[in-house]
Amino acid sequence: MNEELDSQLSAMFDDELAPEECELLARRLSRDEQLKARWGRYAVIGAAIRSERGVLNAALAGRVSAVILAEPALAAAQGARRAPARWWQPLAGAAVAVGVAVGSVLWLRAQAPFTAAPPSAQLTATVSVPAAALLPAAAAGAADSYVVPRAPAVRAMVPSTELANYVVAHSVFSSPVGRRNLLSAFMASESGTAAEEPPVEPEGNVR
Amino acid sequence: MSADASDLSLVRRVQRGDKGAFDALVLKYQHKLVKLVMRYVRNPAEAEDIAQEAFIKAYRALPQFRGDSAFYTWLYRIAINTAKNAVVSRDRSPIEYDLDRNSEESYDMQGRMKDSETPEGLVLTEEIRSTVNAAIDALPEDLRTAIVLRELEGLSYEEIAAAMACPVGTVRSRIFRAREAIDRRLREVFEGGLGRAEELG
Repeated sequence: MNEELDSQLSAMFDDELAPEECELLARRLSRDEQLKARWGRYAVIGAAIRSERGVLNAALAGRVSAVILAEPALAAAQGARRAPARWWQPLAGAAVAVGVAVGSVLWLRAQAPFTAAPPSAQLTATVSVPAAALLPAAAAGAADSYVVPRAPAVRAMVPSTELANYVVAHSVFSSPVGRRNLLSAFMASESGTAAEEPPVEPEGNVR
Repeated sequence: MSADASDLSLVRRVQRGDKGAFDALVLKYQHKLVKLVMRYVRNPAEAEDIAQEAFIKAYRALPQFRGDSAFYTWLYRIAINTAKNAVVSRDRSPIEYDLDRNSEESYDMQGRMKDSETPEGLVLTEEIRSTVNAAIDALPEDLRTAIVLRELEGLSYEEIAAAMACPVGTVRSRIFRAREAIDRRLREVFEGGLGRAEELG
């Protein structure tokens, strides 16, 4: 037997060996029966010096070892215990991800700034930006100046009178709620954005 | 040096499925555990049974052991609980520790007389003890002091080095040489005369 190895074993028995050396020696100790027997005798020597009561033989260790041998190894047992719980883990992960995404979208919609135009009008609105506003002042031959850009006028889709008349004429075929919503939208459009839309004119420079 | 690194390295191996590493833990602590359990039960054979049960419980519970406390502390608690449960289930009152200190000899005799399976075991134990004591007496003074301070007083290598005014490496070497000398004597006796060396370790 290697003396250095035995010296390490003695130090490990006393918890006086460096952890990295313990790792290596523990591996060997668990496999080498001769080394294990020596380890067991070190324990017997200690017990004899301390005059510990009880029988100083390894019958107990042998019995425990026999029972443990019949048991499944811990890593395998743990794996077997965990296996039934694994199938739902990816599904749960996906469900959580979808939930977070939907929640984020709803939250963002709720936090979006309120706009005067109804969503349908926003979708169909055309933004008319005067060409002069896009041109640099220098290109227009004017002197350097601070330009206050005018807010772009939003031209909402204004329903024509014919369309409104059509809706009223065929109101018997539409549901009361839908009809009321549509007429409200017409009235809002007529009295709101369309009525107040200023005439498009070239932007002027403001000093 | 981190305390409990030795046990922890063995425990980690067991947790990864290495049963051989658990044998080493049992070999190391079986005597301590039997001694502990004998505070609760009189019969050494019963104490061994309880210690065995405690070891098996510990093995099964080892996946839950995180290493927050020392392995022996954890094992100690399992053994105490197992012993208490055994006492309750057998409707016996635990023995007070002070009692057996006061009447150590009579207690020992009582325990031995109840031990149905160990007449041979007791003879073997006495042989081991006398062999170890004789081997210790034969050791050079420095080796004897080192091993006694370690095993009997439970001092660390650093404390022994301070007590013996020598480097820690020398202490390690002295303890190892003392153990080797005693072990050699044990093997000579048991392999030569009794043929029961396998029972020692």
